[in-house]
Amino acid sequence: MTDSVEYTLSELMAVAGARELKDGQIVAVGLGLPVVAAFLAKRTHAPHMTILFELGVVDPEPVAPGVGLADPRVWHRATMLSTFADMLGTVLHRGLVDVGFLGGLEIDAYGNVNTTLLGDPKGAFRHFVGSGGANDIASLARETIIIIRHEARKLKEVISYITSPGYLSGEKSWRDAGLAGGPRRVITDKAIFGFDPESKRMRLESIHPGITLDDVLANLGFRPIVPSDLPTTEPPTAEQVRLIRQEIDPQGMYM
Amino acid sequence: MKVCDLSAAVASIPSGSHVALSGFAITRCTMAFAREVIRQGLRGLTLSQCVGAMDGDLLVGAGVADHLIYGGGSLDRFGRLACINRRIEDGSLKVEEYSSLSMVFRYQAAAMGLPFIPIRSLRGSDILERLAETAPADHAEIIDPFTGEDCLVLRPLAPDVAVVQVQIADAEGNAWIYGPRWDNGEQVRAAKRAIVITERLVPSEIIRQQPEQTVIPGFRVSHVVQLPFSAHPASVYRAYDYDADEIRRYAEAAKTPAGLRAYLEEYVYGVRDHWEYLAHIGGAQRLNRLTADPVLGY
Repeated sequence: MTDSVEYTLSELMAVAGARELKDGQIVAVGLGLPVVAAFLAKRTHAPHMTILFELGVVDPEPVAPGVGLADPRVWHRATMLSTFADMLGTVLHRGLVDVGFLGGLEIDAYGNVNTTLLGDPKGAFRHFVGSGGANDIASLARETIIIIRHEARKLKEVISYITSPGYLSGEKSWRDAGLAGGPRRVITDKAIFGFDPESKRMRLESIHPGITLDDVLANLGFRPIVPSDLPTTEPPTAEQVRLIRQEIDPQGMYM
Repeated sequence: MKVCDLSAAVASIPSGSHVALSGFAITRCTMAFAREVIRQGLRGLTLSQCVGAMDGDLLVGAGVADHLIYGGGSLDRFGRLACINRRIEDGSLKVEEYSSLSMVFRYQAAAMGLPFIPIRSLRGSDILERLAETAPADHAEIIDPFTGEDCLVLRPLAPDVAVVQVQIADAEGNAWIYGPRWDNGEQVRAAKRAIVITERLVPSEIIRQQPEQTVIPGFRVSHVVQLPFSAHPASVYRAYDYDADEIRRYAEAAKTPAGLRAYLEEYVYGVRDHWEYLAHIGGAQRLNRLTADPVLGY
């Protein structure tokens, strides 16, 4: 049905992210690969999905890629321009966001994400971006999807700082802390992970074409649950790759 | 008379004040304001904004502010908020780090005169863990009187003054903001007063013809300053695009204290006022290139 097509691992990640989104959902998106994934879903199987940016942007249709959420290019042709209180308050805090789509500096085996600092928070550290709306989205969306590069220094047993909670230390710890929702998928450039329903530890769901299990585990700072039956991630279709390259990110800003 | 020049508006702010800034990363940043604050030598400011931006970074880098209450931030793809990060890392900046929603809820609580506001994010995170040390008096766990469940509540955040960069205002400070408004409406309503810095000053008749566009009511505004390109090098939607070269220059300079000092010498102390600044960065020819396309808004 679909011819095999050349693609990059970034394109595969964006396509895998798009596949997680369903038509009709309300999706809160941070910038970068998650935006490409969301626009791709919207242009293919999810035309009635609503995309939100935290600063007050609903359903934009950019004609040029932006350098971040602060770039008016990514607000273009929105259906509403409003406020943080509206997006993060009356939609997210109200419980109406189906999927939060996040990136990060580090993630641990329970899906806790760090975007704040690397090092010892009470000693020597290097400070980065912090939360923005990420903590709020991770805490309040019905589920979150995280896209992150597959490197041992990024996927770690212990991360420097929990900016955005996943399942904390697993099992019931996250519920005891008053959290609901939680991460559903972690998409890297080598594999896709889910979470064990009981322990809430990360579990391999599929490995990308051409990647071995050794590649996946050798570049991981923790041991995920590895099921005996491990499928290969479905590759992008020619049409998905065409949409990314020609329409969504023609300048290769995120790819 | 609320309409005044930038130096008079800045002179109304005593050192040590808590100032909320309207910038978000690299858009609608209060840049001309920040440069004038530095020239006037204010000290000991507390700054707040939902998402840190170039205006806050410059003020923190120049040593004018030594207390920051914010939800994290960056210069988008141009880089980190290098001055803020450096001063967090060396411990010289008192920082209280929240999330976007928790910041806006704190402003919102102050805006509505609430004693506190419940929030369902932050829980389980190191953000809350750190706030227990940096700002223990600004949040609490209470029992929800209706459900009996644990409930995290935040203290209202009321700045002394909100400084807001807008596209259009009249002489009373009734102001329109085009594009998303992030936390600006809540900042103004939470603050004791607001200073409006506007690209265009229009007759009240324009405002009165479309009052539903007004997002800042004049009765909250103490000073109105009309100054074109006053967010440069940040963007102002439907007025002008960001100046990528100048933001890159800043991002590079801000990486080291020496680089920042040189930047301040050239762009802040080296010019008398905003008009000299605009001439220095290339004058009308450069500004014309940044002027927004009327269809696209950037």
